[in-house]
Amino acid sequence: MTDQISFPDAVQWAVPFFVAAILAEFLWIAVKGKGGRYETRDAVTSLIMGAGNIASGFLLGFIAYGFFMWLWQITPLDLGTSIPVIILCFVLDDFRYYWVHRFGHRIRWVWANHVNHHSSQHYNLTTALRQPWTYTFTLMMVVRAPLILIGFHPAMVLFVGGLNLIYQFWIHTEAIGKMPRWFEAIMNTPSHHRAHHGRNARYLDCNYAGVFIIWDKMFGTFVPEQENDRVDFGLVHNIGTFNPLRVAFHEWVGIWRDATQPGLTLRQRLAYCFAPPGYSHDGSRDSSEQIKAKHLARHPEDCGTPGFEHFDKKLPTGQAERV
Amino acid sequence: MPLEILLVLVVGGIAGITLLLHLTGHSEPFVLTPETARAQWLRHAPDDTIIDVTISNDRHAALVRTETGAGLLWSFGADTVARHLLDFDWIERPEGFEIQFHDFDTPGTLIHLDEIERAHWRHLMEPE
Repeated sequence: MTDQISFPDAVQWAVPFFVAAILAEFLWIAVKGKGGRYETRDAVTSLIMGAGNIASGFLLGFIAYGFFMWLWQITPLDLGTSIPVIILCFVLDDFRYYWVHRFGHRIRWVWANHVNHHSSQHYNLTTALRQPWTYTFTLMMVVRAPLILIGFHPAMVLFVGGLNLIYQFWIHTEAIGKMPRWFEAIMNTPSHHRAHHGRNARYLDCNYAGVFIIWDKMFGTFVPEQENDRVDFGLVHNIGTFNPLRVAFHEWVGIWRDATQPGLTLRQRLAYCFAPPGYSHDGSRDSSEQIKAKHLARHPEDCGTPGFEHFDKKLPTGQAERV
Repeated sequence: MPLEILLVLVVGGIAGITLLLHLTGHSEPFVLTPETARAQWLRHAPDDTIIDVTISNDRHAALVRTETGAGLLWSFGADTVARHLLDFDWIERPEGFEIQFHDFDTPGTLIHLDEIERAHWRHLMEPE
């Protein structure tokens, strides 16, 4: 069993590239007069969230790494570090990313960590760096366990995970319209990821891909960006703070307040923690399905169009339901 | 990467980008008109039916009366944030009203109002 394997921390080495690319995008927008928007406090908040993410990695990364190294000690398998193995690890880790990301939108406990990445109403390269601080608390590192148990070294798994994040940096832009058709068919692109960041009913819970968009196509979560439904970036309920501490922890506070209110059953308390975002014991909030149904009640002409394929066309206005 | 170099890159990068954005005029708040206030409110609360909209003189806040009650819309950087006036306190300040929402993700906002509009807003915001 090989223990002493070292891979570079790709994300740290990419920091100069991130800064240069942000400046390039800013200049591009300034010169062209289109292709996105920048706002000072929004961008600063995003950048501080990115710095905090690196800091949280320094402070808490040992927990995940210790877990991975323990798995590495107990597994009898070792696939080595050849180039084909690294490529295979990259692809499988992207598959892992798809599911963690999907859980991040469908399980409130995981959403509490991921929500801050969606909390900007802007969509530019600084938004890519609006990263969470609390990933360790979600325990989503367990989703990586199979990769290590089948023989991928933990250092390699973390390395390809870093490459995955770096890939996703450039797709956070409005400056790029559509890529060539073959590329759009296979890869995650600015267009696909813009849709993912949309708060429009159509785009809720779609396009979870990291690098390869094929996972969304395989599992029925792909929604192409529509020319007639411009993406409105942000959260369904946009937050009103630029304070990074509030951005990082607001959903955790929300879970605490909801789950500890008096008079709830244990099932309701657990649902506030682990049900999809939008759950409420008294029906006072809307889930993404209810938001889509309400949208179709106002716009029945959208029934059956991308993002609304699973809603019944035949029901009368106001009664659109998921089928 | 050595930690000192990473630190310099991160701090220098954030400071440089902040300065660049501010000096090139990217700190200006969203300016509301009756039309944009209506559009922005419906963007945040698409199920609502708006009765009327009152814009503050500085055009950075709007009181929106809907069929389900009043709400506050205000500039938030280059964008807006909206909240129904359901669970909130308001404190009179020399500049206007400080609205405090009991909400960790939206603690509150300061609405700048002159003496004349202050009485009108007070009347509109009183629970019916």
